[in-house]
Amino acid sequence: MSAVIRSVVISGVGGQGLLTMGELLGEALIERGFKVSVGEIHGLSQRGGSVVVFVKYGDVQPSPIVVEGEANALVGLELIETARRVQLLAPTGIVLANNYLLPPPASQKIPGREELIEAIRRAARNVILINAVELARKAGSPVAVNMVMLGALAASGAVDLGLADLKGVVEKKFTGRTGEVNARALILGFEEAQKQLREKA
Amino acid sequence: MEAGISAAAAYPGTPSTEILEALAEVAEEYGVYVEWSTNEKVALEVGIGVSMMGLRALVAMKHVGLNVASDPLMSLGYTGVVGGLVVVSADDPNAHSSQNEQDNRYYGLHSYIPVFEPSGVQEAKDMTRELFQLSEEHRTAVILRTTTRLSHSRGEVMFGAVERVHREPVFHRDPERWALLPPYSLRKHREVLERIRTLEEKLGEWPFNRFVEGDGDTLIVSAGFAHAYVREALDWLKVNPPLLKLASTYPLPRALAKRALEFRKIVVVEELEPFVEDQLRAFAQREGSSAEIHGKDLFPRVGELNTALVASGLSKALGVSFDPPRGNAAGVELPPRPPTLCPGCGHRSTYYAVKLAAARARVKPVWANDIGCYTLGFFPPFRMADFTWSMGSALGIGMGIARFSKDPVVAFIGDSTFYHAGIPGLINAVYNQYPIVVVVMDNGVTAMTGHQPHPGSGYGPTGEKRPAIPVENLARACGVEFVEVVPAYEVARLRDAVERAIKYAREKNAPAVVVARQFCALEELRMKRMRGEAVVPYVIDQAKCVKCGICVDQFSCPAIVRENGSIKILTELCAGCGVCASICPAKAIGPLSG
Repeated sequence: MSAVIRSVVISGVGGQGLLTMGELLGEALIERGFKVSVGEIHGLSQRGGSVVVFVKYGDVQPSPIVVEGEANALVGLELIETARRVQLLAPTGIVLANNYLLPPPASQKIPGREELIEAIRRAARNVILINAVELARKAGSPVAVNMVMLGALAASGAVDLGLADLKGVVEKKFTGRTGEVNARALILGFEEAQKQLREKA
Repeated sequence: MEAGISAAAAYPGTPSTEILEALAEVAEEYGVYVEWSTNEKVALEVGIGVSMMGLRALVAMKHVGLNVASDPLMSLGYTGVVGGLVVVSADDPNAHSSQNEQDNRYYGLHSYIPVFEPSGVQEAKDMTRELFQLSEEHRTAVILRTTTRLSHSRGEVMFGAVERVHREPVFHRDPERWALLPPYSLRKHREVLERIRTLEEKLGEWPFNRFVEGDGDTLIVSAGFAHAYVREALDWLKVNPPLLKLASTYPLPRALAKRALEFRKIVVVEELEPFVEDQLRAFAQREGSSAEIHGKDLFPRVGELNTALVASGLSKALGVSFDPPRGNAAGVELPPRPPTLCPGCGHRSTYYAVKLAAARARVKPVWANDIGCYTLGFFPPFRMADFTWSMGSALGIGMGIARFSKDPVVAFIGDSTFYHAGIPGLINAVYNQYPIVVVVMDNGVTAMTGHQPHPGSGYGPTGEKRPAIPVENLARACGVEFVEVVPAYEVARLRDAVERAIKYAREKNAPAVVVARQFCALEELRMKRMRGEAVVPYVIDQAKCVKCGICVDQFSCPAIVRENGSIKILTELCAGCGVCASICPAKAIGPLSG
């Protein structure tokens, strides 16, 4: 008997709200009855460093690390960080990338936006680009980029979660205006990814 | 909480910090005393004192913190405890946020304190509760060893009932036990050997250790968290060998070790050093067993394990094929992205000002650095960390250099690190007359680990008021005559103070202390947000900007970037500190108006 374990990698820059995404995904999956491990790779509490979060789930308790070629989905909040982790994706996996480039301060050689997108597309068959900053602003706050990307992930079908599952945990965690903005951002991300996936099909 | 602890003490350190933070959240409600101690040695000693009162205590620290606490730890092995005492050592394989990846299980072996390693989040909770029981039953402290992968993972945990212990605190007066004097020490050594022998027998029955039947004559032994990878790897390989899951890794449970030797081949999977493997080898030799024992010949000793690494090693041992999953790399060269000092961080303006001071004084200092956010001064453009070692070493090692260096030594040390381990060094500098300049980077909290309070903060872990002990008072009390306190954002004042300090140290052959003070920018932003205060960002007047690059290349705030040949401030990142405006030679930067 072989257990089915599925996994998501979330990559980005410290301060973009990756840990919150991992926490929300984990909660939603637990509510769906899965055994979940969320692994966080972050060193210091300052902003600006490269951060990656692993979410693994299945019928048995999984380990918290995703290895090369294992992930069913990669959610990238920044293009350099998306490219950095694309190798973790299984050949059949999907990339949901925020079309946003934030060069590390004081770095000399930085690949261009087009070069990065091309490289990601070469490495992964299925890539969806989302203008998450724009959608987050539309939802009410540029900080809600993480929620837009979570919504997009729900639309991709790569995890056993629907929009309603995520909305449920988001509404439980955030109240007031933040809750409203986050729920709106979630829906906008979901709709955008769904639209692109339909066009592809 | 389920074990009914009365107290918890810790010094923050990744990946252990969250333990005390979580306890602090419920401390008042359940009447548990929690404290951030000055350092790990003090934290452990507080725990020992609570245990002498017959109460249960938990002490938590990162692996290198146990080095600081190792002195009382060694004696604790001899004395044992009254109230249950669990010492959590949060190890950091891969050195994600540490100076090394030392394996603290050896501290258990060294101090005769039993070591336990949970294999997951649920077990970490359940086992901790049981360890308090075991600690009291066998009158011994225990080490609960976690690794980063466990410490920083989330998962479902089923809670049990929270016990409210109403024990009467009574000091267990027993000088012959607690006063470690020569006549009693050898007797205690014999007693502790006996205690470890008893535990060797008892732990064979301990429910967290488990034998699982399987196919074939090769036994897989997993220690602690490695079990999570072993389980997954066996699934990948579609094999079902017999399994020994070890949760107590020192002393080795005798019955289980004996049973392991019945197999022809034994494969030990553990993170970092061959701790269990070597104990098993020694045991096999004593028992005259010819079992073939493998471990670090199959799995790496450096860095973390993962399922692919474990599956690869197990496939070799079991003689089955393994095709590791492969992914495609992006195939472009990517710039590294180390963490940076935040926008508005007072450390940045301090480094900038000290660099200016050194240039004005026409000296090339040796930059002694220490452990904290400010360690990031190592990176360009500052490059102001010639060494970083362990807590407080900027002063100690700096003095050794200063005794013989023609160039001045400038030591950077954070406020929390200063309280933790800087003060004895400073006293030494006064007493032994060292010409060292000490810049205390005071941001009011232990920032790197997430803004925990310290003896200078004025409040405790649950936000309650506590007395504050300012750095400058301590420096003066240590006998330092040159002590100046300057707001870190005031670059010109700070530069002049450091220049005076360099001159003073050289002329008087004595230490000089400059306290560069600015509350942590991240914490400041959070508080402003809570108060509903707006942050007024700064902008560059492009008509006035001469593109000298000082703000973007030499001050290097992450909120200032080059874009299409001009320099601009990302208003969403700007903390509104205004330091860039004060150093701009063209006076082209100002607050956003309107």
